[in-house]
Amino acid sequence: MPKVKITILTLLCLGVLLLSLFLGPTSVSPFSADPVEKEILFSIRLPRVIVAFLIGIALGASGAVLQGILRNPLADPYVLGISSGSAFAAALVLVSGIYILGKLTIPLSAFAGACAASVLVGIFGWKRGNLLPERLLLAGIGLGFLFYSVMMLLVSLSTSEGMRRTVLWIFGDLSMADWSLIPYGIVFIASGLVISLFRAKALNALILGDELAHSLGFSVQRERLLLFIAVSLMTGASVSLGGTIGFIGLIIPHVVRFFTGANSRYVIPVSALCGGAFLCISDLIGRTLLAPMEIPAGIITALIGSPYFLYLLRRRDVFQA
Amino acid sequence: MSSRPDIPILELSGVGFSYDRNEPFLSNLSFSVQNGQFIGLLGANGSGKSTILKLATGILKPSTGRIHLWGKSLHEYRQKDKAKLISYLPQFLDMQIPFTVSELVSMGLYPYDILPEMTADEALELVGLREKSGTPLTQLSGGERRRAFIAMTLVQGAGLVLLDEPLVNLDIKFQIEIYRLLKDLQMKKNISILMALHDINFAMQFETVMLIKHGTILGSGKPEEVLTKDRIKDAFDVDVTVHKQDSGGMAIRYTNGPK
Repeated sequence: MPKVKITILTLLCLGVLLLSLFLGPTSVSPFSADPVEKEILFSIRLPRVIVAFLIGIALGASGAVLQGILRNPLADPYVLGISSGSAFAAALVLVSGIYILGKLTIPLSAFAGACAASVLVGIFGWKRGNLLPERLLLAGIGLGFLFYSVMMLLVSLSTSEGMRRTVLWIFGDLSMADWSLIPYGIVFIASGLVISLFRAKALNALILGDELAHSLGFSVQRERLLLFIAVSLMTGASVSLGGTIGFIGLIIPHVVRFFTGANSRYVIPVSALCGGAFLCISDLIGRTLLAPMEIPAGIITALIGSPYFLYLLRRRDVFQA
Repeated sequence: MSSRPDIPILELSGVGFSYDRNEPFLSNLSFSVQNGQFIGLLGANGSGKSTILKLATGILKPSTGRIHLWGKSLHEYRQKDKAKLISYLPQFLDMQIPFTVSELVSMGLYPYDILPEMTADEALELVGLREKSGTPLTQLSGGERRRAFIAMTLVQGAGLVLLDEPLVNLDIKFQIEIYRLLKDLQMKKNISILMALHDINFAMQFETVMLIKHGTILGSGKPEEVLTKDRIKDAFDVDVTVHKQDSGGMAIRYTNGPK
């Protein structure tokens, strides 16, 4: 991929970041000395944009990795049931209203839910010492449905306040974002991203098939497990930061492949960057369109993502881009 | 890899394997591949050709016996080091993978930290795909895709190349082209090739063939010595006549083919 393309893309993403920082229901000038504007910028806008960017990075990169290790162009973090497991755990806290660890209760339980769901999917996807892509995929779909239906049962049994907050969480809500969770999010998402980037060659080999990957010198099961852990770290952290946000993991890697080709060395970092920028734009639209009312960013990404997904289904050849 | 002529490149001794615990698929299989040999592994569907190649690469683990690569037990090699000595092209390849020709061929360099002897460009030149290096694999014909995968296998620079039915589903023109290419490379680079195939007439082109049935070697040596009427009947369950041609080669004709 030419350096010019990468530079242009990086600059575009930075531009989007700045736009979503200074635009919104209340536009903020970067040079303003007004204490109210400064307060909006540093206490509300900046952490929210950082959280959106981090979640987008995590989901974009996770989608790129999952589509490779499962050799399925329709894979994203939701397919593996990790997001549903994570959201289920968070919904459990929201509906019950029991916050044992205070403010950290929801993100930590969401992360624990993601880890538990990953382990469960891994157990069901494991056969005779191998982590099999087809089994992983089917186990993820099955468990995802199970988590989702139990979550809906909880919502239907809950009080109106618990239900409202849970529904917001399910659709991805960035309005609660603050600085407290950002360092923890950075650590988990950066760890997952670094593992994925260092194993990009292995991911390319896995895309060719297990036998060719073996012939090229990779320990297939070890590599698949490592990349699966990376995805679990990133997805778990993203759900705990802002709930379940759909379609970034599915569409961004496909769009990115149009520009970069299929080499994971480029697809992973560029999907991360574009995923971050896309969620920032979606959040900007969500908080500006019907201001002062906010539309959860997850709804905006799904509104843009669903038609694109259907378009992909009609034109399967684009998967080969 | 420097090779000592007295050590076989690949040696299987008393190898047994079973997919199902109650039913052995291979038992007590022994053979070796010497430096610079080009062997055709011939047998009917389900005869064990692919299983033998997968055992030789370490994808499958033998239940009994030993497999040595350059005199050292196969499982003692680090995966990456083994990939520099032995490359393998499976029979079933995903033809819809999204890479370009040059991206695919470059993957053959993955086991190396420094560039090996053959570059991706050189391999593309050898298989006649240099002009198409930037083309997505999905836009190539079946024969071109096979050649691209073979180029990747060659770039790996291994002294032993295992190919599982690389000619299957190809027109006779491409079959001959690929065979000649491999033969040429084997001579020039002094590599050893073990190639699975099931076309008896095509096997006549090889200097050495190994005929197998249910994982047992029925015969090994020159095709005209190994591929007798009786052995072919045993291995393929068809009646044939073997004809010597004016050119010196042999031709097999089926006498109880489909009516």
